[in-house]
Amino acid sequence: MEARGLAKHLSGNENYSRMRKESESVLICHNISSLVVDRLCDQARGQSTAVTCFYLDFAARKEQSVANILGSLLRQIVGGMEKVPEEIKQAFQEQKMAIGGRAPRLPDIVKMLQTITSSLRTFVCIDAWDECGAPHRVKLLNSLHQILATSPRTRIFIIGRPHVRAEIEKRLPGRVISLSVGPSKNDITEYLRLRLDEDETPDAMDESLEAEILEKIPEKMSEM
Amino acid sequence: MNNTAFSNNTNSVNIQNINVVADDRSPLLNWLSPLEPKFRHRDIQERRVDNVGEWLLQTKEFKSWHNLSEGEGDKVVLFCYGGPGVGKTFIR
Repeated sequence: MEARGLAKHLSGNENYSRMRKESESVLICHNISSLVVDRLCDQARGQSTAVTCFYLDFAARKEQSVANILGSLLRQIVGGMEKVPEEIKQAFQEQKMAIGGRAPRLPDIVKMLQTITSSLRTFVCIDAWDECGAPHRVKLLNSLHQILATSPRTRIFIIGRPHVRAEIEKRLPGRVISLSVGPSKNDITEYLRLRLDEDETPDAMDESLEAEILEKIPEKMSEM
Repeated sequence: MNNTAFSNNTNSVNIQNINVVADDRSPLLNWLSPLEPKFRHRDIQERRVDNVGEWLLQTKEFKSWHNLSEGEGDKVVLFCYGGPGVGKTFIR
């Protein structure tokens, strides 16, 4: 059956749509990133190491400007420090002079991050890189490039879909190791089996439909 | 805001919250960025499937990225890629 035909066939099935919804919400729960962040935090405990994370989100594109994203990393580092660095305190005081205050500009944030991370071992973990708009991604990469140039102890972990790979490798030349974390067809089958097994309304599912789901979905997904 | 900080402090040692209470740096932190990914992180953490992704931490790529000491090699960025939705989260 053609993929479209299959989708049409399956979409009429209540179980399938519920299963699909559930699996999507599980699948987008960003297991790895959060695991990596937690593990890095565990290892950093008691050492002077900063661990920062950011979850990019298509739905939050407006708020997630490059200045806000990098500002958030800076905020996490500063929040964990015993004392706020003088340079940052001073910049904060100065902007108050402007009417209504003034948000820090991207170059200021990059400079503050450069200063802090040049003397503090820092991990940056960024999740769902592809959910950031293309112009933002380029700006973000250029800023990270600037930070890496002055902070040899900074490590960056990025997770995203394969189509952003070339861009990352191009903007951070010679700095990137790329690793596929795609699941095998087997994993998807196992996952679907688990979900079908948990089905609370098994009457709506017949054997041939179940067999079809187990055969077709893993095939389609591993082709993506 | 203060209530949250206090209740967190009684339940666990949270350095960040203690600092906020101690020198009231929250206006400064909010100025740096209004975004607080720790809430998203907590949310994801709660829904996490145990041990999924654990294998990644054992790969030589991850280890060398993590253990790289200063001046040792240039590969300081680890990019992990997977298919739409599924690859990032659901792991072999």
